[in-house]
Amino acid sequence: MKNIKYFSFPGTPKAALSALLDRKSEAMAVAGGTLAAKTLPETVENFVGLKNLPLNYIKKRGADLVIGALATFDEIDNSKLAKSWAGGAVSAAAARCSSQLIRNMATIGGNIARPHSFNIFPVVLLGLDARVRLLAGPGVKTVPFADLYGADLKLKPGRDCLILEIIIPGKTRNWSCRFEKFAKTEASWEAYLTLFMAASAKAGTVKEARVAVGALSPKPFRAQAAEHAVSGEKPGAAVIKAAALELGRELDAARAGDFKKAAAASLFERFMHDFARKLRPGGVKK
Amino acid sequence: MKKENTKLTAVNGVFDISLELNGVKKTFAVGNTEFLLDALRRYGYKGAKKGCDTGDCGSCAVIFNGKPALACLIPAFTAHGAAVTTIEGIGTVQAPHALQEAFVEAGAVQCGFCIPGMIVSSKHLLDIIPEPSEEEIKKYLDGNLCRCTGYVKQIAAVKAAAERLKARKAEG
Repeated sequence: MKNIKYFSFPGTPKAALSALLDRKSEAMAVAGGTLAAKTLPETVENFVGLKNLPLNYIKKRGADLVIGALATFDEIDNSKLAKSWAGGAVSAAAARCSSQLIRNMATIGGNIARPHSFNIFPVVLLGLDARVRLLAGPGVKTVPFADLYGADLKLKPGRDCLILEIIIPGKTRNWSCRFEKFAKTEASWEAYLTLFMAASAKAGTVKEARVAVGALSPKPFRAQAAEHAVSGEKPGAAVIKAAALELGRELDAARAGDFKKAAAASLFERFMHDFARKLRPGGVKK
Repeated sequence: MKKENTKLTAVNGVFDISLELNGVKKTFAVGNTEFLLDALRRYGYKGAKKGCDTGDCGSCAVIFNGKPALACLIPAFTAHGAAVTTIEGIGTVQAPHALQEAFVEAGAVQCGFCIPGMIVSSKHLLDIIPEPSEEEIKKYLDGNLCRCTGYVKQIAAVKAAAERLKARKAEG
């Protein structure tokens, strides 16, 4: 931070973007600051604090769940609306990020602004088909979360655009979902493996399935072979086993290592068996 | 303090900031590489401790704009316009907070290094959940590491403080 000459707390997203795009000095936006402040590039001269922007809402818009970029992990953890969505997986993920002291400070926008293996929300948002609203020079743009880190976007959140909000589509509201984090302790930020699994049902078969894997690389990825293996099928033991084998192969391809592969496959099987149980007549609802 | 659209410029790497510290308005001159923890300690507020300096141990916790936060991760200049409460603002030797009394009585303090952070986290917990369950206490203190104890006495102390505060409230 030794070259910081200016610091501002803009009151509106437009003013914040204008500060970022001011070419007189290299600027960087910081939200909760739990990671950024200690890793700020030395070339940054203009520190743009985002805390005053009115973007900490968690609300329904139409059928969708909309989370403002400055909603903290603590706010998402304690939001009744977020808890009611996707089996509470969004709140559960927020609750399992690091410690309460970090959860009070860290924001969802900051967590997804830059790809990092240990960030919690990317794996969840990828699995929930989320979209991200950005404010850039030409105006507001909505992109699939899956494209946020892609080269085609040609934008860098926090440097030349701002994340305004995250939109989680209404179709996911009643999905069965589960978030799992393997780490040294519950409060460890450095996870060995994060896993988001989701499934929806239609007439006793799996309509849609999602398996997103994090902590293995800066960008999470979807295990699409495992998803395909259960989609459109009745989730019986053989189908689940075959899908778990596919997941294992995908983790092999990602050089996950044997124990992470075994853990992911086992957690996936457990999730799918619980999901299948719910589909049976009189099945136990968890 | 109003801080919308605030813009500060450093002079020779130093920002002049104003903040509300333990309910009193203060003005600090802080370096552009300085974190809030270092600035507080340099100005004599040594209750917040420098443990890991990486946001892992919770010894530096202060209440920052209403919620416990890690002073070692907050660039000092971003505290301009903020309301900050340190352990010094929660209780004193002459007038300790119920939490401080309970921590001493329960034997929850050994070396004491982590205790300011624990009290800060516990104070916020009791402000928002006056009668917390054991699970809630564990959750809200999960960022405060203690290398001396097994955390059992601290949990007991927070429960005892909650009882004490409830009794005092009932007494009016």
